[in-house]
Amino acid sequence: MKQPTAETAPAAAGDPATAQRVESPAREAWRMFSRNVPALLGVFLLALVLLATLYGKLFYGGDPFEIVWAPYEPPLTTPSVPLGTDYLGRDIVAGLLTGGAPTLTVGASAALITMVIGISLGSLAGYYGGWVDNLLMRITEFFQVLPALLFAMVLVTLFSPSLWTIAIAIGVVSWPQTARLTRAEFLRIKELEYVTAARAIGARNRRIIWKVILPNAAPPLIVSATLTIGVAVLFEAGLSFLGLGDPNVMSWGLMIGANRDYMLDAWWPVTFPGLAIFVTVFAVSLIGDGLNDALNPKLRGR
Amino acid sequence: MTALLDVRDLSVRFAMPRPSLFAPRPHLEAVRQVSFTLERGEALGIVGESGSGKTTTAMAAIRLVNAAGGQVLFDGEDLLGLDEKAMRARRRDIQLIFQDPYSSLDPRARVADIVREPMDLMQIGTPAERRRRVGELFELVGLRPDQMNLFPHQFSGGQRQRISIARALATHPRLVVCDEPVSALDVAIQAQILNLLARLKAELGLSYLFISHDLGVVWHVCDHVAVMYLGQIVESGPRDALFETPQHPYTQALLAAAPSLARRKSRGYVRPVKVSGDPAGPIGQRTGCPFAGRCPRVRDLCRDTAPALTRQGPTDVACHFPGPPD
Amino acid sequence: MTPLLEIDNLRVTFDTRHGMVTALDSVSLHLNAGETLGVVGESGCGKSITALSVMGLIPQPPGRIAGGSIRLNGEDLVGAEPARLRSLRGSDVAMIFQEPMTSLNPVLRCGDQIAEAVMLHQNVDSARASRLAVELLDRVGIPAPAQRARDYPHQLSGGMRQRVMIAMAVSCRPKVLVADEPTTALDVTVQAQIFDLLNEIQRDVGAAILLITHDMGAISEMADRVAVMYAGRVVEQGKADDVLDHAEHPYTRGLIDCIPALGRRDDTLREIPGVVPPLHLLGDGCAFASRCAHADRRCLAQKPVLTKWRHHPVACHAVEEGRI
Ligand SMILES: Nc1ncnc2c1ncn2[C@@H]1O[C@H](COP(=O)(O)OP(=O)(O)OP(=O)(O)O)[C@@H](O)[C@H]1O
Ligand SMILES: Nc1ncnc2c1ncn2[C@@H]1O[C@H](COP(=O)(O)OP(=O)(O)OP(=O)(O)O)[C@@H](O)[C@H]1O
Ligand SMILES: [Mg+2]
Ligand SMILES: [Mg+2]
Repeated sequence: MKQPTAETAPAAAGDPATAQRVESPAREAWRMFSRNVPALLGVFLLALVLLATLYGKLFYGGDPFEIVWAPYEPPLTTPSVPLGTDYLGRDIVAGLLTGGAPTLTVGASAALITMVIGISLGSLAGYYGGWVDNLLMRITEFFQVLPALLFAMVLVTLFSPSLWTIAIAIGVVSWPQTARLTRAEFLRIKELEYVTAARAIGARNRRIIWKVILPNAAPPLIVSATLTIGVAVLFEAGLSFLGLGDPNVMSWGLMIGANRDYMLDAWWPVTFPGLAIFVTVFAVSLIGDGLNDALNPKLRGR
Repeated sequence: MTALLDVRDLSVRFAMPRPSLFAPRPHLEAVRQVSFTLERGEALGIVGESGSGKTTTAMAAIRLVNAAGGQVLFDGEDLLGLDEKAMRARRRDIQLIFQDPYSSLDPRARVADIVREPMDLMQIGTPAERRRRVGELFELVGLRPDQMNLFPHQFSGGQRQRISIARALATHPRLVVCDEPVSALDVAIQAQILNLLARLKAELGLSYLFISHDLGVVWHVCDHVAVMYLGQIVESGPRDALFETPQHPYTQALLAAAPSLARRKSRGYVRPVKVSGDPAGPIGQRTGCPFAGRCPRVRDLCRDTAPALTRQGPTDVACHFPGPPD
Repeated sequence: MTPLLEIDNLRVTFDTRHGMVTALDSVSLHLNAGETLGVVGESGCGKSITALSVMGLIPQPPGRIAGGSIRLNGEDLVGAEPARLRSLRGSDVAMIFQEPMTSLNPVLRCGDQIAEAVMLHQNVDSARASRLAVELLDRVGIPAPAQRARDYPHQLSGGMRQRVMIAMAVSCRPKVLVADEPTTALDVTVQAQIFDLLNEIQRDVGAAILLITHDMGAISEMADRVAVMYAGRVVEQGKADDVLDHAEHPYTRGLIDCIPALGRRDDTLREIPGVVPPLHLLGDGCAFASRCAHADRRCLAQKPVLTKWRHHPVACHAVEEGRI
């Protein structure tokens, strides 16, 4: 009954499906990413930072709050405090190794909160449109025009400063961007025919949002998530710098905040945590850029 | 016996943005009181220019676009009156093939999963049966089983269209809506897909609602043809009659405009029927015939009163002055 | 008589991630004054690259003209100075693109765009150029041209925009008009109007037209001569009637037979199996061999060259050996 149709013929030279290896879009993105030198540098730096903050204490004990030496000991002068001490005589290396975890935790949780709120509201607004869209977008705009830092400061002062309130405060002020991005992606993708195709075979809205549109909207969202981590880390540092951090937990931001008044007398107590933040944010944005290139199909060689 | 699909007075309107804050919201009348029937095992072609409402008509008929009015009887049952659940159940009988082989397949799913998805959603058969059926479908549309685990971007346009067809056939549908299934393909590939569609229609007894702007393609696939212009059907009838003795000046213009190997520059071919201008937009109310602005035969009557679709010989025509070209 | 435009043995290569590929190979075409040469073939066969070569618009890099010559009135364009090419573009050779939506500048009024093109090549002041623009719009059949000249491109329909493109292209009475699928984005009735307009302009201005299309029907209505391209080579070339009525190359025959023509009564269309091979997979043999019913060992091993056969030049071993 079957006629010999064209493309059943044994792999002709022009048969694209045999000309290429079986490669999922994710795999192909990984291949692109793994060839991107700056992105790999980012991964390397971030891994270094993570290892140091997770396991550094095992090799370099010491309480970051403990006064171990004279104040203002410059770096590279005393072997027991290699990077010197701060205005109270606390060890800066101990501070760096201990203070990374809270900073990164706040950064990551704030990014998570941002993504959850932003993606949920953005996808609902983009998918349903109409009054849902109108309502959600007005709410988004309201949060967007709030001066973020001031609002976060108010939140933190209202609910005593702890890592959680800080993370929540950062999340609450930064989701509107993600929501707008998600909405724009949903608006674009929902017009594509494979979405209509899903409706034509009787898929429900929930399935279309989660299984069809969201995975296809993922690339820019993943990139924006990595960038949000960087922003959140900076934000945490900023709050601590203004004295709104949790005073009981040593973090990079707190180190900078506590020493900022004496910056002119001793540069090192603020410079080293500042460098640590810089390296982290730099690494994360290198990774973000790398993901952007790897996930953008237009940049993939044809 | 009732027809498979009987569409009566189907209308679709889209709300447009208000021109100013207090102005009434204008509506775009994309489909105006369109009626047609499709018999079992036949193919009904809808031809017309871009923006004439072909896609919207078909999508409204299968409830992927909300209709403003009318009835769509599928096997005697009004689809527009069904609740969500009943409609979802009905979807297994009605499937869809799109124009763009690049945007109609989810780029992140393996093609075997794409073809299996309708069966998963409608819970047809056991998982093993579904997998077997995917294999059968691949063979039916002329794809190799070793291609099942690839992703859409690894296929050519023609092969992607075969995947779309396999997906559409997964649930044993009775009606397949084909929205310009070959317009995005090269002529050589187009012939492969047209032959496949013709073979499937004969072997599986499918009915097609077949949308195209290419008269040659419609001639090749369809048994009946309806010509749309600005949201209305201006002429419809059996294929041969419509193409050989068209009555409506727009049908005649379309036929004269379609490039053909029979017309040679060397033999001094000059186009006989000319229409000037572009179609106006379908927005808002209108009086008179939709084609009046471009019609070579237009008279005052045409601008004032809209002609109704009435039987003129072998075809139904909506024209005050039907007949062969002068 | 020497032809107006003569492409000889043109070879164009591209650097891609698969290495260097040859997009055009041994392409020889000529266009006489006042005639229309149709170039036809499937997607990716090198039609647009041919057009862009004539315009001197091949993106370099990744592209490169690796050999051959393009002579306009005897002057070789391949080695010409960029400044010389610029002055020829628009005045002696002009191009109409496929997508009128994206080939007009969206932030300039249509009339101003035409006027600008006029002033670029003719020594006229802006008032005169604007008047010329309106005349040109009238010439290409745009109703109320003075008003339309003040419209922005998005205010016009696709057909109107393509007319504006044509007005711009013919503003300096070019000797060669390159039209790369000028009607693909348009409806059939509008396509018919544009074809009629091109023919009229050819009669008035005497321009030679290089018409690129994938539609054999359009070739039949528009072209005096045809070149059929496949995978970067010309496989058959000749008078339109000759090629359409006595197609020799299996690819040309396939292209003609696969059209679902009006009035044709056979149930199955002749298919050309398979797809055009990607350029980096082209081997030593005939590029069409993998899709050809007449291919034999020689076809897989050796590229056929274009040689004059019964009516016109064909590049096919099977035709040469009398196997078809
Ligand atoms: N979702 C929508 N919102 C507003 N207007 C719409 C919408 N969908 C379609 N239209 C309008 O309805 C009219 C008919 O569109 P439709 O897509 O049905 O035309 P078509 O005949 O399928 O054209 P084509 O050949 O370009 O596919 C057009 O004027 C179009 O702009
Ligand atoms: N910038 C580029 N880089 C690499 N390869 C290219 C580039 N531009 C074109 N090509 C290759 O050159 C070949 C010819 O392309 P061309 O655009 O001339 O095709 P065409 O015949 O005009 O097709 P279509 O009908 O789709 O317009 C194609 O196979 C394409 O892959
Ligand atoms: Mg459509
Ligand atoms: Mg092209």
